[in-house]
Amino acid sequence: MRVAALERPLREEFPRLLRDGERACELEALRARTRRFADEHVRPRALEIDRRTGEDPGWFDWELVRAGAEHGMLRFLIPAPAGGEGGSPIHCSVVMEELCAACPGIALIFGAHALGVSPLLLGGASHWDGVLAELLDSERAGSPMLMACAITEPEAGTDVEDPDLLRRGRITSHARRVPGGFRLSGTKRFISNGSVARWITVLMPTEPRRAAETLTCFLLDTRSEGFSVSRVEHKMGQRACPAAELRFDEVFVPDELIVGREGDGAAETMIVLASSRPPVGAIATGIARGAYERLLAWLSEDPAARGLLERQHVQLVLASMEEEIHLSRQAYMDAATELDSGALGRVRSDPSVRALGHVPASIRRRARVRRWLASERARDATVALLHRTTSERALTRSLALSSLAKARGADVAMRVTGAALELVGLRAGPVRAELEKLWRDAKLTQIYEGTNQLNRIEVYRGLCHGETVNCLPPLHRAHVNADVPRHADLEAGTNGNAPQRPVVGTVVGAVGGRV
Amino acid sequence: MTGATAVERAELLETARELARRELVPRAAALDAGEQDVLATCWRQLAEIGLDRALLAEEHGGSGLSVSDLLAAIEELAAGEGGIALCVLLANAALATLPSEHAAAIPGGARWALVPVRSGAEATVSDGRLEGSVASALGAYGTEGVVFAVQGDRPASIAVAAGTPGLELARDEAQMGLRAAPAASIGLTGIDAHADLTQSDGASAPADAGGVLALLRAGTAAIARGIARRAYGMALEYAKARRQGGVAIIEHDAVSEMLAAMAVRLSCPLPAAAGAAAALAAKVAASDAAVASTTDAVQVFGGTGYMRETGIEKLMRDAKYCQLFPEPNWVAQDELMRLACD
Repeated sequence: MRVAALERPLREEFPRLLRDGERACELEALRARTRRFADEHVRPRALEIDRRTGEDPGWFDWELVRAGAEHGMLRFLIPAPAGGEGGSPIHCSVVMEELCAACPGIALIFGAHALGVSPLLLGGASHWDGVLAELLDSERAGSPMLMACAITEPEAGTDVEDPDLLRRGRITSHARRVPGGFRLSGTKRFISNGSVARWITVLMPTEPRRAAETLTCFLLDTRSEGFSVSRVEHKMGQRACPAAELRFDEVFVPDELIVGREGDGAAETMIVLASSRPPVGAIATGIARGAYERLLAWLSEDPAARGLLERQHVQLVLASMEEEIHLSRQAYMDAATELDSGALGRVRSDPSVRALGHVPASIRRRARVRRWLASERARDATVALLHRTTSERALTRSLALSSLAKARGADVAMRVTGAALELVGLRAGPVRAELEKLWRDAKLTQIYEGTNQLNRIEVYRGLCHGETVNCLPPLHRAHVNADVPRHADLEAGTNGNAPQRPVVGTVVGAVGGRV
Repeated sequence: MTGATAVERAELLETARELARRELVPRAAALDAGEQDVLATCWRQLAEIGLDRALLAEEHGGSGLSVSDLLAAIEELAAGEGGIALCVLLANAALATLPSEHAAAIPGGARWALVPVRSGAEATVSDGRLEGSVASALGAYGTEGVVFAVQGDRPASIAVAAGTPGLELARDEAQMGLRAAPAASIGLTGIDAHADLTQSDGASAPADAGGVLALLRAGTAAIARGIARRAYGMALEYAKARRQGGVAIIEHDAVSEMLAAMAVRLSCPLPAAAGAAAALAAKVAASDAAVASTTDAVQVFGGTGYMRETGIEKLMRDAKYCQLFPEPNWVAQDELMRLACD
């Protein structure tokens, strides 16, 4: 059953946030496309996949991924110059709410993929014609690849998502500098899509005792020697998307697959979290909406519920659900809009980014251009662009709004699913199983992407206390292991002492988006 | 039912506590997975200490405990495994519904279950025949017999042994919580509602529907409290051991506040479960508290708590079912207000 209020055009529902008519139409089309995918492929399979993965957590439905790829569920965040749709956290949020109203576990497959892609958007244009192009090629070939993002460790969950805690935390993973790149060692835990991803963005410190200062993002090919999946977890909910423990045993990652600059990982993580928490708010909102829709359908159509809609108690519960869902949707859209048009808005519209987008891929893919785009000077230029177009204060505020939307949405998801289940009771028939699943699914939203408690600390810092968190990488960074030759140096046979060519023009990476 | 002396009561509780710690906690995951042989093993141990027929007078082969003694023992068992505690509650409620001589005729160690049934909506008794269907009857699957407590204008209790023609029991595979008390979808076709249990496979008895439901509600409150106790114990232990930000997580206010709230909920005594209204209030209060505490306990564990291996997420699922059994809490509150207006 569709709820009339939820059928309203996005532009009507968010008149303040979506003043741009073109943007509203584009989001409307994306929502309609996602809804088609959800109705045709997700909703009918949700319970069966939950049951199968409950018995065997390693079971994975690739057919569903292929169907999702056909509906554009894997490319909406990939920059337009790379061949994607150039979406932003708003797009991701709209997709997540629609999918989660059908099945949060299946939605998480696509959400975790988007999270894996996110650091690459900060890493500049060097990835456009690398892994991002490969993702799109595989999709076109009918065998889509997935991505994942690996942050959490067995001894560090919350610690790795907060710069202050990171300074005092116990990080056991280690990326050791070797000629031409790094060797990654350690364990990452609870990694969504970890066992099925082809590429993983991995956050590891180059000096574990100085994790906050040396955290670095690496792009890891899961076919690399030394990488393994040590187990897939038995989860309470959101089971369609596997959560894996990953082992890194001296896995080599070359310099050109460092995402951003060495040591910028902590700041990158904060920007990624600011971008990914509105979609988590949307996931939670979608779960609440899914429960609300199912409850309304049961109350309206099931003979066992006859007369209940006339009860004032039931009417008040429904009104409260409508209220909570509406407010949590406004919160995530507000946060996503703030990020999209506020904190990171000028990055996307910067002339250098737009200009780079007009450079034909055939030119970008020339070896010399690719080498330059992957160079440290280009990475420095990307950071300089961030400093020129946004500020730590703006990003801190955005992070706080994102955290607010995430925590609020997660609590609403728990309340609404719990109340819906209580209303129908144990003997309601098939709808009970669906509501129980959504309730189990909802709990994870209070935990992942930082616990709700940590998220509320971010709200305090950014909104109540007006703090500024270190969200931007330093403008200038001395390389930690300057004496160890880089990959480019090895290729040039210079051991890092070759004179640098002057930078001609301002060609820098983009934080996603289209031009 | 004379009840035990203070010493006997203390011994009983200690025995139940020890059984829960030694036998039920290690088997909780297997019970949650629906392993029937593990349930049978646990049930045999419970029968050995007389908890399968605790309320039945000693002269009828029971343990002769009072309701409050039984509820205290159920809470101890639930602190080990909630579903098993529910099996004990349902078995005792079933036997309590029957005339003593009928209850005494049921062999010791046999697991029976009481199933509350709404007259009309779920089943009807007409011309001495019980007809209808009941969805998700907790604890009914795999039993040796079921006592249907028919509620409505003409309440009745009808005992039906497993295997009786017309009684269909299918496992409710979707059951989310209290899975050690396996739920069944029940089909009833032409069940004889007059027959004498000692003579054949069915029995009817004058029902004290209010009393039976009060027992179920008070027992569910005890189960919820046991679950909440276990969640608090596990979360406290974990919070002392787990370190984040360079300190044990219990030193973070965000965590210690959740633990304090759990302790506060446990420190509030349940209403004495004597009487229908008190049992309703106890069931609502205890199950709401258990859901809040187990949800917070999972939060204290973080991602680890969301995985099956710690067993903490199971407590959350079990607690949720306490809100829904024997009726959803909002229905229980309705009933409470109806009693207040009578």
